[in-house]
Amino acid sequence: MATRFRRSRGGVVVTFHPDEAVVLRSLLHQLEDMLGGDEPETDEDIDPLAAAVGIGGADEPPADPALARLLPDAYPDDVEASADFRRYTELGLRERKRAAIRTALAGLATPGARRTLGADEAHAWLAALNDLRLVIGTRLDLREDAERDDDAMEEGDPRRTLYDVYDWLTLLQETLVRALW
Amino acid sequence: MAGVSMAPVVTSVEAPVEAPVEKGRPDSAEQVRPDRPWITLVWNDPINLMSYVSYVFQRHFGYPKEKAEKLMMDVHHKGRAVVSSGTREEMERDVEAMHGYGLWATLQQQD
Repeated sequence: MATRFRRSRGGVVVTFHPDEAVVLRSLLHQLEDMLGGDEPETDEDIDPLAAAVGIGGADEPPADPALARLLPDAYPDDVEASADFRRYTELGLRERKRAAIRTALAGLATPGARRTLGADEAHAWLAALNDLRLVIGTRLDLREDAERDDDAMEEGDPRRTLYDVYDWLTLLQETLVRALW
Repeated sequence: MAGVSMAPVVTSVEAPVEAPVEKGRPDSAEQVRPDRPWITLVWNDPINLMSYVSYVFQRHFGYPKEKAEKLMMDVHHKGRAVVSSGTREEMERDVEAMHGYGLWATLQQQD
């Protein structure tokens, strides 16, 4: 049976199907790695005091469009203000996203068993699932006004599998929103 | 399926996501006028679920369900919506929170 989040009296319940847990774990690890990259390469690049309060992030958007979608510019028409904002917030944002991923991963430790998620764990899943969809959707170059091209793709096209995974994550996230709301 | 990779797909041409650009931007002298409030905008994107966006507006801003859904529909149909207004610092906090949720948010001084 496919994994679904459901509302119950004690919170949100979910039983991760073992096969689906394997995929989720792989995707979440990849996302965690993506968000951990692009950090200063040596300790000397980090001002310890600034790092302690979450300052010292990059001042440009990440080159990878999918990562840039997770960490967008804050000022649409002001490069300098966007750079400032990024320096002060990006490390913290990355860390919060990674914390949500780690929470989700911890919950995948016992697939096949029914789990009741508290509010914090449910929201960690919500954020992590959404970030996975943002990355995959950006990779697939999904656009509001464009037809999806997965039906026209050849059998071996890796994007076909990505589309399937994207649709599956969409369903999963939809069940979680419904269970929370 | 376990071998699914989220690495860049080489068969597609990667187009960087461009930040939306506001036309008719006021010059910088005008931009710092203190009498105009700052606003947080959320932009439409093809990935975020409508139910999720409404849920985030309700949870973060404490808006009633009707207002949250109206703002979500504005984002969806008009391409963007003003979701909050206040001081620059307050709007930066809202934008940072929206980015935490994965929503595409920006701030600017009101026209």
